[in-house]
Amino acid sequence: MSDDTALDPAASVALIAEQRAKVQAATDVDGRLLFGVWGVAWLIGFWLQWAAWGDDPLIHLSYGAALAVFGMLLITAMVVTTVHIARRSAGIRGTTSTQGAMYGWAWFFAFAGIGVLGHALDSAGASAEVVSTAMTASSTLFVGVLYMAGGALWRVRIQFVLGAWICLVTIVATLVGAPNMLLVMALGGGGGMLMVGVIEAVRRGRRLGR
Amino acid sequence: MPESLDPVIHTVARLRIMTTLTALAEGDRLTFPKLQSLLDASAGNLSTHLRRLEDAGYVRVVKGHQGRVPSTQVEVTRAGRRAFEDYLAQLRALLTPPAEVAAAEPAAATAEPAEPAAATAEPADADTTEENR
Repeated sequence: MSDDTALDPAASVALIAEQRAKVQAATDVDGRLLFGVWGVAWLIGFWLQWAAWGDDPLIHLSYGAALAVFGMLLITAMVVTTVHIARRSAGIRGTTSTQGAMYGWAWFFAFAGIGVLGHALDSAGASAEVVSTAMTASSTLFVGVLYMAGGALWRVRIQFVLGAWICLVTIVATLVGAPNMLLVMALGGGGGMLMVGVIEAVRRGRRLGR
Repeated sequence: MPESLDPVIHTVARLRIMTTLTALAEGDRLTFPKLQSLLDASAGNLSTHLRRLEDAGYVRVVKGHQGRVPSTQVEVTRAGRRAFEDYLAQLRALLTPPAEVAAAEPAAATAEPAEPAAATAEPADADTTEENR
């Protein structure tokens, strides 16, 4: 950083633009990446479960293996999200980080609860169909609701709309029931997230093009 | 006319500091090392400029602890945000060709565009002393 060299107004404007871009690049949470990893996890994960369902499955993969792949995809998406957000918010304290931490705890408790629900249903002797229906419907509904809440909190309309869309897809999927609800979630939920990722990419391209 | 730009902000180093801090949401602070990395500045150089901005009431430097590790955090004050906005308005006025200014506000014509901004800078100073108390 150089010192008190004289600045003319045009140089000041250029300096402000350059520094703003630098701060933006260092602190911006990239929706393309996040919606991308979650969209892929849902699309492949739910589709695999659907394709591996029943006595005469579409693919030669046990349902347990499909579930395991889905679990791994979700863990990958979670790690990518956590690392990305931690990097982009490193060194920032105050209101935004407090809000982010509170919002993060909401996700944590929601999914801790869903995990326990799955365990309880299993111990109660529920069929695979019941467990799958309950787990799929509750987890995707929570995602939809938390996206809506996040969109409202940070006034990000597209996140709110995606949340509402995921809630609607979940309602339709739940009415359809197992196993085809899994296909509805793959295409509607995963597809919806990927669509928003693409919209983000187009918006960014436009912003840069200006 | 350029000398009417706020001399506290109008240097390469301090303009970059103010741009960085005002880019954050209200109520957000940056740790000293993060600010340093966003500016590619040496710690000594950054401290000097921060002191100048702090004396003017534009930034607040909070020394605290994160657990046992000492942590210094920097945020822009309300007076600082206002001063930066005034600075931006002055820049815009300086860069607008006089013909456009005349067309936009025929009454004011070519009268010093910096003057109204300088006038609004005064209440900001009053705020500063208030915040320092």
